[in-house]
Amino acid sequence: MVDQIPNLGRESEMLAEIGLSSISDLFSNIPEGVRRDGPLPLPPPQSEEQILEDARRLLGANIDLDSRPSFLSAGLARNFVPTMVPMLATRGEFLTSYTPYQPEVSQGMLQAMWEFQTMVSELVGLPVSNVSMYDASTAAAEAITCAVRVKSKKATRPNSVFISDLVPPHRLSVIRNYTQGVGIELLILPHNDDGSLDMEAASSAAGSSAVYVEQPNALGILDEGLMGLKEAIGDLTALIVGVDAVSLGLVQPPGHWGADIVVGEGQPFGIGPTGGGPIYGIFACTKEFLRLMPGRIVGQSIDTEGETAYTLTLSTREQHIRRHRATSNICSNETLIALMGAMHMSLLGPEGLEKLATRISSSTYAAMEAVTNIPGIDLVNPGGSFFREFAIRLPGPAKDALSSIDAAGVLGGFDLGNWWEDMSDCLLIGCDEGTTESDISSLVNALGAWSGGIK
Amino acid sequence: MSTVFDFNGASGSGWSQPDPTFPNPDAVPKSLRRKRLPGWPRASEPELVRHYTLLSQKTFGIDTGFYPLGSCTMKHNPRVNERIVQLPGIDRIHPLQDPSQVQGLLAIYYEMQEMLAICSGMDAVTLQPVAGAQGEFTAIRCIQEYHRSRGDDQRDKVIVPDSAHGTNPASASMCGYQIIEIPSASDGMLDIDALKAAVGDDTAAMMITNPSTMGLFEANIAEASQIVHEAGGQMYYDGANFNAIIGKTDPGRMGFDAVHYNLHKTFSQPHGGGGPGSGPIGVKDHLSEFLPTPIASRREPQEGELDSVGDGFYYFWQDVGDNSIGKVQQWNGNAGAVVRAWAFYRRYGRDLERMSEHAVLNSNYLRHKIMNPEPDVAAKINCMPSEGSETSLVMHEFTLSMSPVKEVNGVTGKDVAKRLLDYGYMSPTLYFPQIVPECLMIEPTETESKEVLDKFAADFHEVLSEDPEILTTAPHTTPVKRVDEVWAARNLILRHPDTGED
Repeated sequence: MVDQIPNLGRESEMLAEIGLSSISDLFSNIPEGVRRDGPLPLPPPQSEEQILEDARRLLGANIDLDSRPSFLSAGLARNFVPTMVPMLATRGEFLTSYTPYQPEVSQGMLQAMWEFQTMVSELVGLPVSNVSMYDASTAAAEAITCAVRVKSKKATRPNSVFISDLVPPHRLSVIRNYTQGVGIELLILPHNDDGSLDMEAASSAAGSSAVYVEQPNALGILDEGLMGLKEAIGDLTALIVGVDAVSLGLVQPPGHWGADIVVGEGQPFGIGPTGGGPIYGIFACTKEFLRLMPGRIVGQSIDTEGETAYTLTLSTREQHIRRHRATSNICSNETLIALMGAMHMSLLGPEGLEKLATRISSSTYAAMEAVTNIPGIDLVNPGGSFFREFAIRLPGPAKDALSSIDAAGVLGGFDLGNWWEDMSDCLLIGCDEGTTESDISSLVNALGAWSGGIK
Repeated sequence: MSTVFDFNGASGSGWSQPDPTFPNPDAVPKSLRRKRLPGWPRASEPELVRHYTLLSQKTFGIDTGFYPLGSCTMKHNPRVNERIVQLPGIDRIHPLQDPSQVQGLLAIYYEMQEMLAICSGMDAVTLQPVAGAQGEFTAIRCIQEYHRSRGDDQRDKVIVPDSAHGTNPASASMCGYQIIEIPSASDGMLDIDALKAAVGDDTAAMMITNPSTMGLFEANIAEASQIVHEAGGQMYYDGANFNAIIGKTDPGRMGFDAVHYNLHKTFSQPHGGGGPGSGPIGVKDHLSEFLPTPIASRREPQEGELDSVGDGFYYFWQDVGDNSIGKVQQWNGNAGAVVRAWAFYRRYGRDLERMSEHAVLNSNYLRHKIMNPEPDVAAKINCMPSEGSETSLVMHEFTLSMSPVKEVNGVTGKDVAKRLLDYGYMSPTLYFPQIVPECLMIEPTETESKEVLDKFAADFHEVLSEDPEILTTAPHTTPVKRVDEVWAARNLILRHPDTGED
């Protein structure tokens, strides 16, 4: 029996008032030719108790990241989310509100998003942030289309955009879907053997509309050379940098070395990996891009009595006003998850952020040292600086290594052969604030047993 | 007014965390290191819990009052759904885990794909798009690749009615299409003659919502599909108004080739102040090879594969193949929203039809109550609105035009909307669809009781009876008075000017 409909059993009373006699009268405007007859071939309704029992059974069959030593990251973080965050973000007022089109009764969410914008702006070193994109990949894709809108007027190669060849293929695929229809040509920038960007090749991007690189890149490498990239490409070309947001607790924010737009995955702040979503993308930029950027933006304002108030602003960029000339089709975004991010960032504070980044950095290096001590296992990019992740080359297929360590109760890393065919003997090992000495021992023992066994 | 940046305690005094397990201060070389930390607040948990609780109290949600926001389907969000997504089997799951480790999640994906296909009359479903607009974009991309695969590259136009949501033209435009907007007929319905004149061998697709944004069922929808198909175009169904028709008809029967669903509207993923959403799409067979990859699938367990969920199947991610458009979100969509929507769907099962019946019942009931005040009430009303469309029946939502009211005493739709806030209601959708002058668009949903609808109608009449001055200066009882949106756009204060950086 369905239990979510207050007017069940009162249909006749309500129908009579309208002057109808049956429910089917309500649907008489649906022409017979397209009507559906008979019940939907679906199971009967369940009670809350039954649903919860099924959810526990089904989701209980999954192996969660906290139940084992886990080294799977690849763009998402096995983070620790403070208890306050989900408890407060799921307060009904936040949870069940819509986009704050009526600012007078939405001041709380609007202020929280304005504070979020401020914290993102501070984090990445750029003056403007929106209220979120869907994820890091759509943020990167829409950063590119935004950059082309702004830069193509003066660029000498207005339709060209250069992208690092270490952008993972699923992100590249999202970028291609978002750019293919609007005449953008994507060109690929190569990397040196040590995983750093080939700066000579990169300087050939001067005159294009934009360059997109990541710091750290998909192999976890912090590339010092990128800090000279803006100088190499010049002012005609937008520099777009994708970041691991937590790394900015230790690492120079791209806004301080010339980035025009910074994007990235916000997930480490605010929410668990959640099977890949909902998560949120960060999007921040200089004022040059403000009027052609995607997404919702909150501005401070005043009410009729001169009191401080907040409201959505610059809406004339958006689809509900500008329709096919909008800067993006984005309508629903990831506000609630951004709110969770804001709560997490506020709890951390500046020193807490630095400490979090330090914890991740230190566990990354500890795992790297331990794993590369295993005979036959080497770092793919020796000599570099790393954050959260590093790639190792194995004495056999990464696929086999993963099944073997899985049998030993260790989850992950990631088989890089899934992204790049020539890396099918490489594993991407991801670390985080929860990585313990015992986790690393388990990984080393499992990997060591496997690699020892294949000699 | 205070902000979170007013909390500025001692350095590092806030929320504590363990020290690094493996101290390594030189891990990041000096040249790469951040010179000064971001200007974030320094706050303790007690301070922040109060800060965010107070902010929540200045935010209107379904939980605080009736939210008749047309087109947005602001229905109740069952709380067990929030409990379920906190389980580690979804909260602590990585999308790149081996399928053998996520059999339960895959089973839920599979069940949702099947259910959505059944309810919509489609053949294949992907849950990857994470918002309605992204679903539109994804479906138009599939249609684009379909035409290309047939050498039909000259099809460069997408037709939308003038009553369409703004996301429709915006999504098609992002795929590189030119937009042909056709006017509605005088009764608010699709103008078949205008459609006939618009189609041609350059038509890639038509995008349309049915019921329309006027709350009307397009009686000529089958004919419209035929016209577009005969011209070689594809029919795209915007599922924003899917809440009105489940079990009564479906886009497949109407002749559509592709459809998006809003799990955050029809299937109660909470709107969360603007998101997250989830915008799966369904397609007919001929478009399925172009869907984003992968989709959930299942088979009899093969060697080494376990039937972990106990239904006799092994679940896996099926690669869509070489013609797939690839990815639109980097993982497999908003899995958390899919799980919530699954829990919602299980609550109704085959009785999803009851949901649509009551959504339409409530809408017609409320429209009737608003437009037919008792004589003593009517006597006090300054001026009644007119109906947005001359029809005896509407679907799940309806439009009112405040034009007569504006003519009589200068009160605009916006004034009425703002005054309703004082009565403890969220405003209806304002000035949309644009073809109805001074439009208020009202969608009560199935989760509001008769008493709430009666009270809203009575309060609406009360508003129409008030001194116009009270309306034009409304709201009066909200946390702030009417907000100056022009001031915000002129001054562009988009962040805290000084967070007290070191």
